[in-house]
Amino acid sequence: MRTTRITEEERAKAFAPTRKPEVTERQQLDVRYHVEDFAVEDRPRRFLEAFAAILRHSNYRFALDHFIRMSAKCSRCSTQCQVYQATGDPEDIPCKRSELLLSVYRRHFTLAGSVRGRILGTGHLTDEKIQEMAESFWNCTACRRCSMECPVGIDHALITHLGRYILSEIGIAPRALVVSTREQLEGKTGNTSAVPVPALVDTLEFLEEDMEEEKHVAIKFPIDKEGAEFVFFPAVSDFLMEAESLMGIAAVFTATGDSWTIGTGYFDGINYGLFYSDRILERVVTKVSDETKRLKGEKVLIGECGHASRSAKYFLPVHCGGKDALPVYNIMEYTYQAWKAGKLKLQPNAIPERVTYHDPCNIARQKWILEQPRELLKAICADYVEMTPNREDNICCGGGGGTVSIDEIRPYRTAVGGKAKADQIRATGAKYIVAPCANCKKQLRELVEDQGIDAEIVGLHDLLYKAIIFPDHMIQPAVPADAEDEDNPAAEPVKPDSAGSADE
Amino acid sequence: MEALLDFAQGPLFRLTFAIMILGLLRILILDIVGMVEAYRKAGDKSIPWGLTISRTLEWLFPVKRILNHRPIYSIISILFHIGLIITPIFLFAHVRLWEQGVGFGWWTLSPQVADTLTITTIVFGLLLFLGRVGVSRARALSRPQDYLWPVLLIIPFISGYLCANMGVSPAVYQASMLVHVLSGELIFVALPFTKIAHCVLMPFSQLVSVLAWKFPARVDEDVATTLDKKGAPV
Repeated sequence: MRTTRITEEERAKAFAPTRKPEVTERQQLDVRYHVEDFAVEDRPRRFLEAFAAILRHSNYRFALDHFIRMSAKCSRCSTQCQVYQATGDPEDIPCKRSELLLSVYRRHFTLAGSVRGRILGTGHLTDEKIQEMAESFWNCTACRRCSMECPVGIDHALITHLGRYILSEIGIAPRALVVSTREQLEGKTGNTSAVPVPALVDTLEFLEEDMEEEKHVAIKFPIDKEGAEFVFFPAVSDFLMEAESLMGIAAVFTATGDSWTIGTGYFDGINYGLFYSDRILERVVTKVSDETKRLKGEKVLIGECGHASRSAKYFLPVHCGGKDALPVYNIMEYTYQAWKAGKLKLQPNAIPERVTYHDPCNIARQKWILEQPRELLKAICADYVEMTPNREDNICCGGGGGTVSIDEIRPYRTAVGGKAKADQIRATGAKYIVAPCANCKKQLRELVEDQGIDAEIVGLHDLLYKAIIFPDHMIQPAVPADAEDEDNPAAEPVKPDSAGSADE
Repeated sequence: MEALLDFAQGPLFRLTFAIMILGLLRILILDIVGMVEAYRKAGDKSIPWGLTISRTLEWLFPVKRILNHRPIYSIISILFHIGLIITPIFLFAHVRLWEQGVGFGWWTLSPQVADTLTITTIVFGLLLFLGRVGVSRARALSRPQDYLWPVLLIIPFISGYLCANMGVSPAVYQASMLVHVLSGELIFVALPFTKIAHCVLMPFSQLVSVLAWKFPARVDEDVATTLDKKGAPV
């Protein structure tokens, strides 16, 4: 699917400056996201030092060598980039973005490049180039479609990832991400949303009461239960914003009877390290692994969150023991397996409205989880439709790569980054967009609002919650004395919610 | 002219061909050593072989990909590559030379097929060049070598076709053969040092990406120490 260019008016809005001019001047940096003050002197030298240190202790060098030797500059990636398609700006072509960093590597870290550069006196790193990278790398939504479509196989996403990592080492990283990560790793609450444990416990108790009232089933969030099979790490923001997803997950576990728990030592799946720093990535996955071990859990279970799932699935083994690391599951895998095994009963056609599924990039691109949520949705929805393209070729919500957390660039995200997604959603005519990812949910809600699309963004478990059929023995008898409901709902299996209540 | 041609076809050919082979071997070995080293350092050594191999094959034989995006450009590019690879290797006249030089030859193309491939390679090479000049997004990315390569690559095809098919005078034949041989030799020499290195590196690209995402375990402290940031706040 291709999208059209943005209008001049949209462009002006999307690229409007968000920072005070004096900040831009003080930081000598003209980007649209907020950055904490950092040392501006000698930036090129410090950038190169950071680059050198990272190359020394990482595996990037051989890949950069491979890429600089064969980059063919064919421009095919431009057909894949939703940002370029919306802006039409050559600077947004993925290959051009990669070249920003590759040229620095070639000039300063290869023999031929540094000899040529020294003889000609050209190509050395300047403040302007750093500025260009700081702008360009954060225009990217890190969706990785370009990497899949490069005929010679250049991984532009890896290069942008590395570029952001180096920039963060000299202090250039979006403040929104840095501040959250600081609270997660060094703050009192130890999570990105600064949720204190008592507030977490209160919230969960409140949700339990809510569910009991609605379903007449004692659905619990087990806290700090040692020896549970699954230790659960949702994006911590779910506790504040995605109660229905959490309720659906708790309901699934109640119906299946499998053991799970939420640890009060650490309960945040969010890992912004995936977006801007391998060092942060490492520290966060280590916390996930440590908490699971503290609780003597067997498996790490990540909630409906794309980047949290990818960072745990692919980087927990890297840092926490390789093949001996704890196994990592995404909640959709668990629910699907339970349903397939007959442990979970779902009401067919429980959702009468048209439903479509948005593949989070971090889950779908590597063909990790594609069919499971679709099969679950087809089992409960009367009118399920696909977006085109889908599965591993999906289009990003437009808020990927951490950009969704940067509130000051919302106009950019909904006018440029998410434009192709908005077109795609419109074409389905769906009422519910199922997006099993905290970041995608936030971005898509802002996108449908800003683009004037009449659709509601939900999680997979929000809908499953409406369709779960609990075994009879779990359904509690109604309170006879003050029962207002003459139908006595407890006497029959819980009906899935009606369509009307879903809209509320 | 004759002496020059003899030199170009003899010692110069052997030298440039050796430079190409050794140059390609060098980058191939460096690439493989890099991959082995990365694998050794990787904290997680599980490689999704199925997906990696299927993606590699998808791009080596990009039939599935042709019609998805930019179909015309894709078809032109694929046909250009086919002619470029097949024709020089399986041309009867080239194989004869190998037979004379090293004592063995191999299967060859029929003259009609060779001629057709030569013409299509020339035409599609020119179209690729025009595409690079004419399409703004391609122009935005292009370096000098990106414009030069399609032109350089079709020179031996044009001159070779001239020698094989045109009833030209001996002087023109010799001049054209000299251009054919020298341009071919220029390609040999430049090949390992430019983007055409993808002819040997491309089959490894998907594996390179997979390995590059397999970071070494627990390097936070090492990077922090090197940057003198140990214990520094986030």
